[in-house]
Amino acid sequence: MEANSAPELLPGTLYLLILRTLSRGPLHGYAIVKRIKEASREGLQVEDGSLYPALNRMLVKGWLAAEWGVSENNRKARFYRLTPEGRKQLDQEAGEFDRLVRAIQLVMRTA
Amino acid sequence: MALWKEIGNRLGYLLRRSRFDREFEDEMRFHIQARADELEQAGLAGADALRQARREFGSTLRSGEETRSAWQMRWLEDLSSDLRYAARALRRNPAMALAAVGSLALGIGANTTMFSVAREALFSEPSCRDAQSLVEISTRGNRWVTVAQYRFFRDAHVFDGVAGENHELPVNWRNGNRSYYLAGTHVSDNFFQVVGVPVAMGRPIERGETDAAVVTYGFWRNRLNGDPNVLGRKLELDSKPYTIVGVLPRDHRMLVGFGFTPDLYLTKDPAGFMLYGRLPQGLTRQAAYARLRPICRDLDRVYPEANRKWTEEVQLSGVGGMDRLREMGGPMVIPALAFFGMLVIVTAIVVLIACANISSLLLARALTRSREIAIRMSLGGSRGRLVRQLLAESLLLAVLGTGAGLLLNLWLTRALSGFRIPTPLPIELIVQPDRLLLAYSCVVAFVVTLATGLVPALRATRAGIGGALKEGGRQTGPAGSRLRSALVIGQLAVSIVLLSAGLLFIRNLISATSFNAGFDSAHTIAAAVQGQSDPEKFVDTALARLRALPGIEAASPAIALPLNPFLAFNRPNEQLRPDAGSRTVRVEYNGNSVGPDYFRIMAIPILQGRAFLDADRAGAPGVVILNQNMARRLFGDTNPVGHVLRFPGDRDATVVGIARNSTYATLGEKDAMALYTPFAQLATRRGACLFVRTTGPPEAMARKVDETIAELDAKASVRTKVMREVFNYALLPSRAGAAVLGGMALFGLMLASIGLYGVLLYATQQRIHEIGIRVALGAAPGDVLALVAGQSLELVGTGMAIGLAIAAVAVRPLSMFLVPDVRPTDPLNFVAVACVLALVAGLATVAPTARALRVDPAVALRHE
Repeated sequence: MEANSAPELLPGTLYLLILRTLSRGPLHGYAIVKRIKEASREGLQVEDGSLYPALNRMLVKGWLAAEWGVSENNRKARFYRLTPEGRKQLDQEAGEFDRLVRAIQLVMRTA
Repeated sequence: MALWKEIGNRLGYLLRRSRFDREFEDEMRFHIQARADELEQAGLAGADALRQARREFGSTLRSGEETRSAWQMRWLEDLSSDLRYAARALRRNPAMALAAVGSLALGIGANTTMFSVAREALFSEPSCRDAQSLVEISTRGNRWVTVAQYRFFRDAHVFDGVAGENHELPVNWRNGNRSYYLAGTHVSDNFFQVVGVPVAMGRPIERGETDAAVVTYGFWRNRLNGDPNVLGRKLELDSKPYTIVGVLPRDHRMLVGFGFTPDLYLTKDPAGFMLYGRLPQGLTRQAAYARLRPICRDLDRVYPEANRKWTEEVQLSGVGGMDRLREMGGPMVIPALAFFGMLVIVTAIVVLIACANISSLLLARALTRSREIAIRMSLGGSRGRLVRQLLAESLLLAVLGTGAGLLLNLWLTRALSGFRIPTPLPIELIVQPDRLLLAYSCVVAFVVTLATGLVPALRATRAGIGGALKEGGRQTGPAGSRLRSALVIGQLAVSIVLLSAGLLFIRNLISATSFNAGFDSAHTIAAAVQGQSDPEKFVDTALARLRALPGIEAASPAIALPLNPFLAFNRPNEQLRPDAGSRTVRVEYNGNSVGPDYFRIMAIPILQGRAFLDADRAGAPGVVILNQNMARRLFGDTNPVGHVLRFPGDRDATVVGIARNSTYATLGEKDAMALYTPFAQLATRRGACLFVRTTGPPEAMARKVDETIAELDAKASVRTKVMREVFNYALLPSRAGAAVLGGMALFGLMLASIGLYGVLLYATQQRIHEIGIRVALGAAPGDVLALVAGQSLELVGTGMAIGLAIAAVAVRPLSMFLVPDVRPTDPLNFVAVACVLALVAGLATVAPTARALRVDPAVALRHE
């Protein structure tokens, strides 16, 4: 029930969050969810059910690559990392997102 | 870019789908386990932690499905499942699948091969660097330029080089103690540089060289035994030593096109050149043309020629495609295009007939499946999806058929490529499958799919749901049957057209084979001699030696060989004056100069007067012998023997005899005129042909004759042939036409009869119930027979009527390929075709009729 208190993600921001989270190094799926949750101070909760379809769509687009590795507690896990295209995509989406947020804030403050 | 990568990723997924599923499960398990570990650390018990983690994750099934759909290409998966379904359907009925694929393959194989051959023969790109900037320089209707004029152009510097080439000159190659006739192409020293001909081994001929030769692949392989150390080897050509500097690649294509393949290229200035110029970078043809004008004016001033004005007539034309075709072919273009066009069309028609068969077959299957289709539609299956599924079956057939057809094409073209047509400049087509052919066959496959699949698919899915469900089994409906009947009628009609054309060509072949050529070719040998050291003495010595051989009845010289393009008749077109009077008659005739025994050897009877005598020698009064056509033309009905004929230049000759008409240039010629003069009275003798008549079969003597002549003079090249062989060559077009058209016509007829058989059998099966009722109500076997045979008669009658009407018009243009005896409009032809079709149709009706007659009312009615 705790998850419900977190606000719904803005549409399209899931990719951005995943890209940003992976920009510091490869992670497995569970770590991505955890990292986002921690970084947002529990403000954002990625649904487990929507994480993997999103990751796979990004694999298809070639933004991510995936490899099997070993997790911190010695389990076989699939690690995702950014590809050069993914990095480019991150730069582009981050810029767009900043502009969007600034614009929304402007409207919220002044209008 | 990104899109391609994405498609590539998706395709990669298709290949390892099962691994993907396995890995995804592992990943889910890990995720849930990781969450459970965490919960456990927070204090939950192991089992509870796992349960809690599972609950939080939600449905793994849904997640998996969504993840998978990220990778999938919906239509591709649908297509592959449709294709699998179609493949199962085909496997269930292998005979039908084999027949369908086989007939398509044969049709497409023949069609693509015709396409390849036509493309290679007419439109092949020559082997040169940048064909776009290479032009041929000529004046309208005259391509030959003297060497002096060539130099004038070369030194004018309008072009980045002007090169000359002459491919019409034979060369004598002295090898050991005898000489051979070679098809040589004479080129200017800069030819290879200007044109940029690629060389496989060694180097091209270079500027300033006067004694270099580049040999073709075929010559190197067959005549020089593929000698790897051939570079630098000397060849004695026309008594002059040449050095081989290079060997051309196997797929070398001459600038003149049409598959002409010489033995070698050598530097030599012939009497005339064809000129090729390389346009400087960026200069258009128009600009080059403008720059040529002043040079042409100078040319006309320096070399005034009566029948050529460079200033007015100069033209620059391309070296490939249509341009070359127009330039090279001249009057031959239309028949050549028409001939290949006809073959391509005929084979395409066969493909269509095969398509109609498959279409009709698929239609029948779709109709029997209409119940299933109706159920699927009523359950909400979309029509588009169903149509796609039905199309998949025809797509599979088309792809299989086209694939098999392409294999057939590969085999056929390989067989054709090795074939060397012995024209004076030998023709050897390098037919290779290429991208264009692949594109062409893809188009064919696409068209076939649509033609065979779309109509049945649309038809099958259109039937209302209610109607189809109402009544099991027999709901074919009149509309479907009508369509199949129309297809069969169309097939029959087209077969009639094909059969008519095929029959014409077969009759043409028969007629040409049994054609009375007007001379005897069964006992004669002809030897063409060229390059003798002493032409005057050579013929006399050779004749004496030949006559001394056992088994030789007579020997005579001549300058031309009938029906042979190697040594064709002169064809003067002159103003002649009968009786040296004021009346002039313009005649184009076949001229030959022959020895006294020529008419005996060729068994051409002298109808009036006498043959030539030994006394008709140089210095004696001029004499001529005319053929009947020529005599009638010049002297009407009066006996011309003893009359005088005045030639241009006031040269007089007395007509001493009339020879019976025979054939000269082609088998198809009509009312050809001929004039013979004594060989001994020729002003100059260079080449000559020696004819001998043998007592036994000539094949046994040919070698002896060849050796006897060859050993007289090591410098002279001798080509000895049995006349029958020459005759075979003249028959080649008739044979090819008859084989292709006859074969295609029979094949088309076979396909059409299979189609008819299928429709009748199917119709009978659909009516078994009805027939059962009729028989139960007292119908006699005769009535049942009339029922099925009547339907057949209706189909065949309609198809035949339409086909005959089309054929009567369509075969008319074929007359240009036929000997005069065979008239395309001959009613007998159509009667014969109709009879053949009726016979075959009758055979196709037998089995369905028998099936109808076997209907047992008790069984048929219980069937309900």
